[in-house]
Amino acid sequence: MPPRLPRLLIAWVILLVLLGIEFGASFLPLAPWPRVLILLPALAMAAIVGVVFMEVGRGPVVARGFAVAGLFWLLVLLGLGSMDPLTRTDYHTTVAHPE
Amino acid sequence: MSDAYVPHEFQYSSADHQAGTAVAGMWLFLATEVLFFGGLFLCWIYARTQNLAGFDAAASETELWIGTLNTGILLTSSLVYSTGIAFARVGDNRRLVQCCLGAIILGLAFLALKFGLEWSDDFEKHLWPVGPDFKFTGPIAGGARLFYVFYFIGTGLHGVHMVVGVFLVAMIAWRARRGEFSPAYATPVEVVGMYWSFVDVVWIILYPLIYLIGRS
Repeated sequence: MPPRLPRLLIAWVILLVLLGIEFGASFLPLAPWPRVLILLPALAMAAIVGVVFMEVGRGPVVARGFAVAGLFWLLVLLGLGSMDPLTRTDYHTTVAHPE
Repeated sequence: MSDAYVPHEFQYSSADHQAGTAVAGMWLFLATEVLFFGGLFLCWIYARTQNLAGFDAAASETELWIGTLNTGILLTSSLVYSTGIAFARVGDNRRLVQCCLGAIILGLAFLALKFGLEWSDDFEKHLWPVGPDFKFTGPIAGGARLFYVFYFIGTGLHGVHMVVGVFLVAMIAWRARRGEFSPAYATPVEVVGMYWSFVDVVWIILYPLIYLIGRS
């Protein structure tokens, strides 16, 4: 029996529990924007898969550098890209229709 | 890595060097994939912010049970393939083949549920966002169309990655059946496992974006 199996099984059980939590949370009567918090269990799940199943800590230092760089540039992409839609104020205007 | 001699290509100083380069190369590729899907996630932020009512109304039409079951299937497939990696590292090629077949069956089950059942239901319910037959009308129709553009592109791209993953896992199973892997040489098994679990991670993020957040 490979020594890594118990660790994999524990991670899988935690992942299913987190899946149940986010599934249950989707039925809570939350306002549209607080519902984005449902993403938190998903982010924890992604981190567990990255650490346990993908073994991000294994391999040469440059491999971890690539993994961190991917996350860093993702944050830059989402952070800068979200600036406009999250801070824009829409003013309603009357559109004149030609007769 | 055991002390057994493992052949390596001429450009590497050792088998460890070759293995480390393969792992680093896969992480570099996955970093580009993160940015590829990052653009899709940014589209979700932008489209939902500007079209909240239509976007969430459309999300309520998705099949929650299929999405949830598929998430469980993918999480289990990652467990099964990672178990195969653990067996490869102790030189058990027979168990590795079994784990690969298990992961393939789970991957095909995901694809059958997603494209065989869910997409055909979506078409029957007139949720294809192009054309005059779209289910939603009125002021929320624009936001609903944007949601289903995101839905079909996101699940379609993820599905393409799944198909590639199934072929890669099948290739590993074929090589394992020929006894190519050993405790000293299991790098291809590990690298394919990184890809397979990454596709899982993409779905872990897509699942709440599609099925959960807009369902009020």
